[in-house]
Amino acid sequence: MKKITIPIGPQHPALKEPISLRITIEGEVVKHADVRLGYNHRGIEKLAESRTYIQNIYLVERICGICSHSHTTCYVQGVEKLCGLEVPKRGLYIRMLVCELERIHSHLLWLGVAAHEAGFDSLFMYTWRDREVVMDLLEIISGNRVHYAINTIGGVRRNLNEIQKEKILEGIKFLKKRTEYYTNLGTTEPTFVARIAGVGILPKEKAIALCAVGPTLRASGVSSDIRKDDPYAAYDEIPFDLCTADTCDVLGRVVVRVKELIESYKIVEYIIKNLPQGEIKVKAPRKIQPAEVVSRYEAPRGENIHYIKSNGTDKPERLKVRAPTLANYPATIEMLKNCFVADIPLIFAAIDPCICCAERFVELIDAKKGNSTVLSMAEIRKKYYSTETKRNVVWPL
Amino acid sequence: MKLKPAAFIPELLRHLFKRPATIEYPFEKLKVPDDFRGTPVLKSELCIVCRACVRDCPAFAIEIETLSEEEKKYKMTIHNDRCIHCAQCVESCPTKALFMNDEFEIATDSRLKLKAEYTYTRPKKSGQQSQTG
Repeated sequence: MKKITIPIGPQHPALKEPISLRITIEGEVVKHADVRLGYNHRGIEKLAESRTYIQNIYLVERICGICSHSHTTCYVQGVEKLCGLEVPKRGLYIRMLVCELERIHSHLLWLGVAAHEAGFDSLFMYTWRDREVVMDLLEIISGNRVHYAINTIGGVRRNLNEIQKEKILEGIKFLKKRTEYYTNLGTTEPTFVARIAGVGILPKEKAIALCAVGPTLRASGVSSDIRKDDPYAAYDEIPFDLCTADTCDVLGRVVVRVKELIESYKIVEYIIKNLPQGEIKVKAPRKIQPAEVVSRYEAPRGENIHYIKSNGTDKPERLKVRAPTLANYPATIEMLKNCFVADIPLIFAAIDPCICCAERFVELIDAKKGNSTVLSMAEIRKKYYSTETKRNVVWPL
Repeated sequence: MKLKPAAFIPELLRHLFKRPATIEYPFEKLKVPDDFRGTPVLKSELCIVCRACVRDCPAFAIEIETLSEEEKKYKMTIHNDRCIHCAQCVESCPTKALFMNDEFEIATDSRLKLKAEYTYTRPKKSGQQSQTG
């Protein structure tokens, strides 16, 4: 049978963000997949070099809307390591609280998206309605639903009071009940299980070899979590279990995330009940001595890495962000092989892709010659955005 | 794991008799929490022109212009169109002259309408002036 290559994206109804998947199919079966990035590049790393450490907190927060706290915590931890700051316990606990609430909201959102891609739209509506509860809790704590801006260098910006604590416990109680219901439903509803079981297989060896991260890796039976492997904040003091599944498919990814939701509820309850007294932040210096640091963080999607290099001024010399989605792309290509065309959106959604998180780099390749070039912004403007070019354009049809 | 067909039906039927989860927004509004980060506002009588807000604003949304050096007259412009509502200015302000109100319906048809300007004279001794002013 003849092989054909079909483009999915950069603009496609199956994708929520711009990315180009070039799928080679033989009949209905995918034989090869190729991922092309660069449609959502915003130059955040370059921009970070021209802003102070304080301003950069809000810049890295805007790398992603769903895991905004992940990026700030990862960045702020790195900067604190550079200055040698000791964050007060209460500050760390509040930071972890927001982190776990964010994980809850991200996993509920993902559960809805996965249900939607599998054609189970009622579950999608219900999980997103329940997600509003945790969004409201985050708004109560931080003053905003999406960009919490709770972190600052040396601690957190806002304290918790008794009323807020009560509201959080109340919300968690409700969500716990709902999640238990979804666990029963998601694993016993035959139509849903039939749609997701056995789809997007990623064997354990492949998952390790291709450096998958987060729930994608854990669903392949590998117990790896930065919160356990390399505990940051005060995760070494908190009792929680690592959630894994060994089915290696989309069902496993659903199970891992639902289990993690329940673990997160336990962590939130533990934090609220054992919140230490005292200060929430320490004063941070504005200028940082030359040094470099790598900070790791377990974001809802997987391991997030920030590399920061300081040069003695109040601005970083280099900030490098490795978002979890980027690490999951090679594994996605492996999962897409030998699947059906109809499974592509489901498999791709199962890694919880955040395209704009992963867009850190753009390479300009000449389509005819195939060599890559480096262009300055002025050259790009002249070449692609100048008015002369637009005027001389010939309508192709 | 035992599969149960149509396990979702009781939940669906129960929702037929529930109130909608949404509210009719323009007619009915949700209450924002107490510490909501709305629009930044300056209490100009408290400002000592230390420019900490200008230095720390990640969106470069605050400008302070010197109108007259002798009379200590200044003009602060808060560009709400650039503001990202992070409230870093509120935190940086040593005299608590800036605060965030709970205004969130700030959409207009022009960027210029979002600009807030404050012309004020800097108090000689900030502590005394702030109590009387």
